[in-house]
Amino acid sequence: MACRMHGAALALCLLAAPAAAQDTYTIGLTGALTGPPASTYAPAVEALRIYVDGLNAAGGIAGKKINLILQDDAAEPGKATANAKKLLGQDNVLLLLNASLSSTFAPVLAEAKRAGVPVLFASSVCPKEVYPPAEALQFCSTAFASTYDSRATLGFIKDTAKEPVKIGFSAMAIPLSRAEMDFAEQQAPGLGMTVVGKEVIPPPTPDYTPFATKLKDAGANWVFSWAPWVTQVRTLEALRRLDWKGDYIAWAHIEAEGELARLKDGSFYVIGANALFQDQLPIHKEIAEAAKKARVAYPVEQLTEGWIAGMVVEAALKAVGWPATPEKLAAAMSTLKIDTKGLRGGPIEWTKDNHFRTQQYYRIYRWDTSKGAIVQVKDWTAFQVK
Amino acid sequence: MSRRPHASGYFRTDYGEDLALLPTRLERWALVGLLVALLGLPLVASPFLIDLGAQVFLAVIGALALMLLTGYAGQVSLGHAGLLAAGAFTVGILFKEFKAPFFVTLPAAAAVGALLGVVFGLPSLRVRGLYLAVSTLALNFLVAYLGGEYETRRGFSTGIVVDPPSLAGVSLSNPKAWYVVLLAAAAGTLLLCANLLRARSGRAWAAIRANETVAETLGIGVASYKLLAFVWSSALTAVAGALFAYWRGFVSVEAFSLFLSIQYVAMIIIGGMGSLAGAILGALFVTLFPYAIEAALGTFARGTAYAGVLFAVNAAAFGAVMIAFLLLEPQGLIGLWRRLATYFLLWPFRHRPAGGGRR
Amino acid sequence: MQLAVNILVLTAIYALIACGYVLIYRVSRVLNLAHGELMMLSAYLLLWTASLFAGHPLTAIAAALALSALVGGMVYLFLLRKLTGEMALAAVLTTVALGVLLRGATVLVWSAQQQYPAQPLGASNSALALPGGARISVWAALLVATTLAVYAALFAFLHWGRWGMRMRAAGQNPLLAAQRGINLHAIYALAWSLSTLTGALAGILIALDSGLGQTMAIIGLKAFPAALVGGLDSLAGALLGALIVASAEVMLIHFVDPLLSEVVPFLVLIVVLMNRPWGLFGTREELDRV
Repeated sequence: MACRMHGAALALCLLAAPAAAQDTYTIGLTGALTGPPASTYAPAVEALRIYVDGLNAAGGIAGKKINLILQDDAAEPGKATANAKKLLGQDNVLLLLNASLSSTFAPVLAEAKRAGVPVLFASSVCPKEVYPPAEALQFCSTAFASTYDSRATLGFIKDTAKEPVKIGFSAMAIPLSRAEMDFAEQQAPGLGMTVVGKEVIPPPTPDYTPFATKLKDAGANWVFSWAPWVTQVRTLEALRRLDWKGDYIAWAHIEAEGELARLKDGSFYVIGANALFQDQLPIHKEIAEAAKKARVAYPVEQLTEGWIAGMVVEAALKAVGWPATPEKLAAAMSTLKIDTKGLRGGPIEWTKDNHFRTQQYYRIYRWDTSKGAIVQVKDWTAFQVK
Repeated sequence: MSRRPHASGYFRTDYGEDLALLPTRLERWALVGLLVALLGLPLVASPFLIDLGAQVFLAVIGALALMLLTGYAGQVSLGHAGLLAAGAFTVGILFKEFKAPFFVTLPAAAAVGALLGVVFGLPSLRVRGLYLAVSTLALNFLVAYLGGEYETRRGFSTGIVVDPPSLAGVSLSNPKAWYVVLLAAAAGTLLLCANLLRARSGRAWAAIRANETVAETLGIGVASYKLLAFVWSSALTAVAGALFAYWRGFVSVEAFSLFLSIQYVAMIIIGGMGSLAGAILGALFVTLFPYAIEAALGTFARGTAYAGVLFAVNAAAFGAVMIAFLLLEPQGLIGLWRRLATYFLLWPFRHRPAGGGRR
Repeated sequence: MQLAVNILVLTAIYALIACGYVLIYRVSRVLNLAHGELMMLSAYLLLWTASLFAGHPLTAIAAALALSALVGGMVYLFLLRKLTGEMALAAVLTTVALGVLLRGATVLVWSAQQQYPAQPLGASNSALALPGGARISVWAALLVATTLAVYAALFAFLHWGRWGMRMRAAGQNPLLAAQRGINLHAIYALAWSLSTLTGALAGILIALDSGLGQTMAIIGLKAFPAALVGGLDSLAGALLGALIVASAEVMLIHFVDPLLSEVVPFLVLIVVLMNRPWGLFGTREELDRV
């Protein structure tokens, strides 16, 4: 009996037969479906769910359905560990997905390693073990990537800037964002830019103006922010209120597309690895239709990351065939090539040493005030991942 | 000093019996039965339940420490998460920087906890009640800041991974073994707290809680006993945090939020202030509560719609339950238990006899 | 000059939030640790009234304020009143539990996403230029003006208004006040309503200025040291305390380390508690045990 639950339904699970049905692929996910960071991860998990539902409705993979078990960890490492133990020990999943904060990684990975089950990081930040030389059981399909993002952004700034660049950075006071801004700070001088400031902003700040004041007073004409969307956008708004006229570039989180229309700021660039919905590719129409049919509560632009995770899962399961074991799946995933149908700049290619992707593509958009729409500023640029 | 209701025929004839932890045969057999059940659980339960049991035991240690401080010594503390974080980070830092083994890190964690206890206990000498609670709030934020700084400066932005403790090449990673170890730790903490309360310190704390001025006139060194309460409580909590770090194999600053402090305070309130058994019941209740909510939602067909906001349902339900206990049963679960036990012990009578009745 | 403006705005934010803590403590000696969450609830209520009264921003804001005051009164009448006679810690913990409940409830109703109430109201957030090259946003300027107006109104009310005098009497000596014929429950309910109203003003203005999310509750907590530093039962103290904490925070951000801004209010708190627990202008009370 497919034990499909959204939570540790103790009573049900103890009484029901273990989920070891004959003709299904069982995969499990632990994600921040609720909790403060949920607005980043929950849409991706929802998109994955409707993708898998669509696959099953069309007959599954070579006639075998996929049993996707979703567990919420509210971004707490303790819950994530409990979820992992349950998915691995009780549900015997073939593949474990993680869509949660990086603080949940280490304990979940420890469990997966013990069980010999591969872990796919979908919409959560890619840990450094997926870069070459890659760890055998860790794979990542998430768009953003530390250090590569900064390199791409700084490269773009250097190409676009019309005058000597005085660059400021804005980070949120979480280790991940700080580490990335530290890296960018180091790289910038090498590209001929002057670093004039780096602000690290704690999350519960009522007024971003003091931080923006420092950046403006330091004379920044470009500001780069790589942080959760809230920090990125509030720094921008505070800077604009101070009558700062420079250019601002930030990472395109899932909220980006909706927010560009709200802010209508012509000098606000977003850099990302996923194509925005305004490009109106055929795949975007497909996602929109599926979302409408399933009555998904989230705006359709936020579903890209999860849809890509669904594509990865489909490709992986097709490659492993039947009967499937975790070892065979890990081996199959080590030489996988996934066609993203235009959602990314190119296919996601994994090799034995590289579980991130061989090429990382970036695109840059901004809001064009004259057209009243989002325009592409720079098309796909590829970075070799070594 | 037993405050438990007992059936007729129970007499105490010397101080030893008065201080005994388990005076009656029934209580002793009950304890044996409980231990057998707890030790037998890993043999039959699923890994998930064993993990849950381990979580409960860790919570019990922290709850007992807080009960000692707030329930018995009467010093309010809202900074419990900070102490847990201090213990966990001590283990993490010592492990990462010096590869220290567990018999160095655990005492070190206790020492760090004791030190923090002195530092944050000092305000208790000048202020009381609400003001003291507020000063302990600062402990949360301070430790979070320091922990975050360490993680960032040393490059552990996703947290510090800690190896399981090992002795002579044998490392502790089997969940069942951890269950037994944590059970032993919780039992040890319970015994320690019970003994602290039976000894002079316990009586001093009771006096201080009742009326500080009178306690001072009775010759009890109020300042030193207050600090003692803080030191013991904080050291125990830090050790709980250290055990948590080893059990989880992982230390990160996000796990220790203000909400965790509130949860521990809820444990002692829901369990019942002024009772060690209350601390255990409260810890059990608060730890199992989210899973119970998930199970409840799962059995409803419409429950799946709420999966996306499970955290919010948890928080809302948790707040509601806490309010319910504060309003309706200030004595907590132990109060409920006592009322129940008294009812059956006194039956068919409703009240204790007016004169000469056993307290 | 911009630095001074930043300090002024942050002082106004903290002062407006702090007077909520002071009002309740002064009148009933209860610490309302759910003030931040009540503030957040009011801002979310504005989202709702904005959709109800689309196109009439002032009506929407007024409705949200009225609802918040009502919520404050109800919190007292249905929750805190039941705790009369219990120890003070029980009341504080009840407010803590209420805060947790409200956090969960707001996410259940409005989701955890960032909201921008300014949008449905059709309000824009332009900036005003000030002498000295400094700039301030319209909502921030409005916030400063509101804080001054609120404090002036509260001073007048407490000193010359009939109910204000009754509130002061209830705060100074509840027993005598009750025997004088003052309805204590009504006074406490009024105090809670006013406190939630001022919190609602703060929450709504902050949300209009920079957006609304779950972090607003923590901002409410950060303003608490401001109230404590000045003395938990003194309005003038709350103003001064807010100034001290805000200045320390902005100066440290500018000259030292931005990260400290989260910890600074609480460090100031500890320093004050060690030396002068009753704050700068508070009454030197017995600081009863819990």
